[in-house]
Amino acid sequence: MPHNPSRGPRPGHDPSAVPAGGRFVTTTVEVEGREETKVVELPDFEPEPWGDDASLTIVGQRVPRVDAVEKVTGRARYTADIVRPRQVYAAIVRATIARGRVTRLDTAPALAIPGVLDAVSAPDLPRPIGAGGVKLFDTTVRYAGQPLAAVCADSETLAHRAARAVIVEYETEPCVVTFHDATAPGAPAIRGTPGNLVRGSPHIAERGDAERGLREADVVVTGEYRTPVALHTALEPHGALAEWDGDRLTVWESTQGIFRTRDQLATAFALPHTGVRVIKEYMGGGFGAKNGAGAHSYAAALLARRLGRPVRCVNDRGGEQTDTGNRPATVQRVSLGAARDGRLTAIVLEAEIPLGIGGWDGGPAAIYHEMYACPNVRTRETFAYVNAGAMSAFRAPGHCEGAFGLERAMDELARALAMDPLELRLRNVAERDQQKDRPYSANHLRECYALGAERFGWPTRRQRGGSDDASMLRRGYGVAAQVWGTGGGPPAYAIVKLESDGTATVLCGTQDLGTGARTVFAQIAAEALGARLADVRVIIGDTERTPYTGNSWGSMTTPSVGPAVRMAAEDARRSLLAAAAQIMGTEARLLEARDSVVRVTGGGAELAFAKIADALGDVMILGRGTRGPNPEHTAIMTFGVQFAEVEVDIETGVVRVIRIVAAHDAGRIINPTLAESQLEGGILQGLGYALFEERVLDRSSGVVLNPTMHDYKIPTIRDTPFIDAFFVPSSDTVANHTGARGLAEPPIIPTAPAIANAVADALGAEVREIPLTPWRVLRARDAGRMTGTRDEGRGTSNSA
Amino acid sequence: MQLTVNGRVHRVRAEQHATLLEVLRSDLELTGTKLVCDRGECGACTVLLDSVPVYACLTLAAACEGQAITTIEGLAPAGSASLHPLQEAFIRHDAAQCGFCTPGQLLAAAALLERLPDPTDDEIRTGMSGNLCRCGTYPRIVLAVRSAARVLRERAHAP
Repeated sequence: MPHNPSRGPRPGHDPSAVPAGGRFVTTTVEVEGREETKVVELPDFEPEPWGDDASLTIVGQRVPRVDAVEKVTGRARYTADIVRPRQVYAAIVRATIARGRVTRLDTAPALAIPGVLDAVSAPDLPRPIGAGGVKLFDTTVRYAGQPLAAVCADSETLAHRAARAVIVEYETEPCVVTFHDATAPGAPAIRGTPGNLVRGSPHIAERGDAERGLREADVVVTGEYRTPVALHTALEPHGALAEWDGDRLTVWESTQGIFRTRDQLATAFALPHTGVRVIKEYMGGGFGAKNGAGAHSYAAALLARRLGRPVRCVNDRGGEQTDTGNRPATVQRVSLGAARDGRLTAIVLEAEIPLGIGGWDGGPAAIYHEMYACPNVRTRETFAYVNAGAMSAFRAPGHCEGAFGLERAMDELARALAMDPLELRLRNVAERDQQKDRPYSANHLRECYALGAERFGWPTRRQRGGSDDASMLRRGYGVAAQVWGTGGGPPAYAIVKLESDGTATVLCGTQDLGTGARTVFAQIAAEALGARLADVRVIIGDTERTPYTGNSWGSMTTPSVGPAVRMAAEDARRSLLAAAAQIMGTEARLLEARDSVVRVTGGGAELAFAKIADALGDVMILGRGTRGPNPEHTAIMTFGVQFAEVEVDIETGVVRVIRIVAAHDAGRIINPTLAESQLEGGILQGLGYALFEERVLDRSSGVVLNPTMHDYKIPTIRDTPFIDAFFVPSSDTVANHTGARGLAEPPIIPTAPAIANAVADALGAEVREIPLTPWRVLRARDAGRMTGTRDEGRGTSNSA
Repeated sequence: MQLTVNGRVHRVRAEQHATLLEVLRSDLELTGTKLVCDRGECGACTVLLDSVPVYACLTLAAACEGQAITTIEGLAPAGSASLHPLQEAFIRHDAAQCGFCTPGQLLAAAALLERLPDPTDDEIRTGMSGNLCRCGTYPRIVLAVRSAARVLRERAHAP
């Protein structure tokens, strides 16, 4: 199988072909927990780092999103809102069985419907195309929901009707949808790998001697923790609009990576990279699922070429919930050993992960190596293929699952040691990146613990407030922590143009998923240029018109693109000040720029940007910015702690989260309001993961039983607790010269374990499986009080 | 059929089974109203029918003749450059992240404030609970609706 088709280095890219010693050097960049080597051109100059004492007037301000008016007026145009002349609509025909062979695929009944224009299936593809872990339109079915064909019609409604009219007959074969079934002796081989294991599995990583660490421990706790399959459920489904002009293809796509999507489309249609233009203006959420081209993109492009008309293909909700990736389930068997004083002596993890039919092996182990100081850590992850949709990155992939097992086990250890769970964590703060034996660029985790505990009012004696025996409502308190690599890195480029009216335009090929990237880069550019924020516009998301930046994944966008934007703006400012100096008859070093005006420092003559532009006529000042290499041998991570207060009805098993306090350290915060919105968003997704969210597969047929937003429960506004989410202020100038690290994924990581720890506290019983639906809570209640008893058996076919 | 949308009368040639959502988005090109679940589960297609919030994906266009339909494009006062106080409050409180659920949220909020000009936070949460957001803007939606309610009340009492 293609390893990690949705990720990984660009095909053909070979950093080893670039010898050391020149202007182009190599550096390492961490992407979703994995390091990649990148070539980077050393920048012409490196701006002075914005340290803690930098006097900044726009960066750090709570300005509204620059695109907020478009969003609240309905003027923001998302992929499905764009209409091209003569546009028509495509819909995907999907497999209704999980495993077998298509014996007949008859599109004639669909084509007979007036207004239906075309249909394509495997024989119509120009060459084999991989999508979602399988070959596009493969007649060998490997999961329910797999695309088999696409149809095209005059309207979207008609296209969906036509898709239903396509006759598909199958020879059904037995499927395996659980880890257990897939790896059992005699299980059918579903992708041709031995034991249905992913190549390279199991992954074993060890530092120190875990067995010795367990032997030397005063206390050992062991537990088995289970997490469900979670679905991204972005409100905007995956979609593409494709239009050909001769041999040139333009695709409007809801994507986290315009350049990756472009390259994949170019490969599929044998075009040069520049033969494809991918545009993404507005996007209704991604959360990791939209990192490249998908079946919908290829179907739209293929049909558009055949028909000579623009074709839009947008997933319906059922397709979105079954075939666009997921966070895979895990079973994590954890042993922790500790000395009497709480210091960890051993961390051991055995994990089983049913990946789906494809995806990459991003498992729960990494956080076991990263979170706590411990000399002896061993993890073993086994990844298996099952007949279900492929996994894809989902906000902090792996760490989110791993944190549940690790942080629940830490609470069980605290109980075994009769130690406060917060105190146990404080005794095990890691002072270095132990896995790679290197320092952190910065780490304010201890301040996060201290400030978070203070604002939460972490009970010093763990009394249970509100435990009114008559009411059946029990309060509980929990804490959990997180760590996540957020350094970003090159390559990333930006151009700043000074326009003839004195305003500035930033061009960079990044994406704003709803995170606020546009606003953050406008603030950085305005600050560095000395312009008013209102005078800066940011143009992103166009492979033809904006310079390269990578995917918006791995909390990388701000630390990757921000330094390039800043440098481009500083470069433009240098030219601007030189021009102003010449016009004003002074020296550039005596000038400063602020509020779109150049002034003699300390008062005196001034000249507005617009006046300079007038004087220069059609001269265009251009600033060029590049992202430099990362510091060597340095771990760049974001840290955080979250506290949860819950109320559990011990009669019904219903859990209500009352309050979450979140304290994170992500270096400099460019816009606190937007950053806090990211924290709240991560917390609410984590709350869904803790309490409600669970894809349910039928174990015998492999069909997804809850592919709707009614049956797959995401949090509503009624489920929202009081959230106090904030950052510990600092500037990380080791990481990059803006001082900012990434922050969007981290808040989901500790949310579910903090809530589960609070539920365990309320119940006086361990909980080891999420989501904490009422029946799981009642079962945990009945399993007894903190005796270390395990949940027995498994209730759903969904997890491993 | 004849539909009155945002104060303007439109003659539309649409099939009898066409939903209001299809007609708004395809025939009238009012794409601010979003298609998300297509079965009344998420609220992204919320519009107002004579001030009552409905899910446009579950509403037949033909059944809307003779009623005043308000979409996000018509929330702000017609012909005015200014925004509705709810829109201003959503901007001020950062109650839109990706923005895809935002039009539906705003119309649900407008209907709520029409019915309850001075809602408690609990009433806001109940009134807005038919509109899903995946980015997690809920805490800010409560703040925004509360603050817009205050502005609207003050305006109503202004001389």
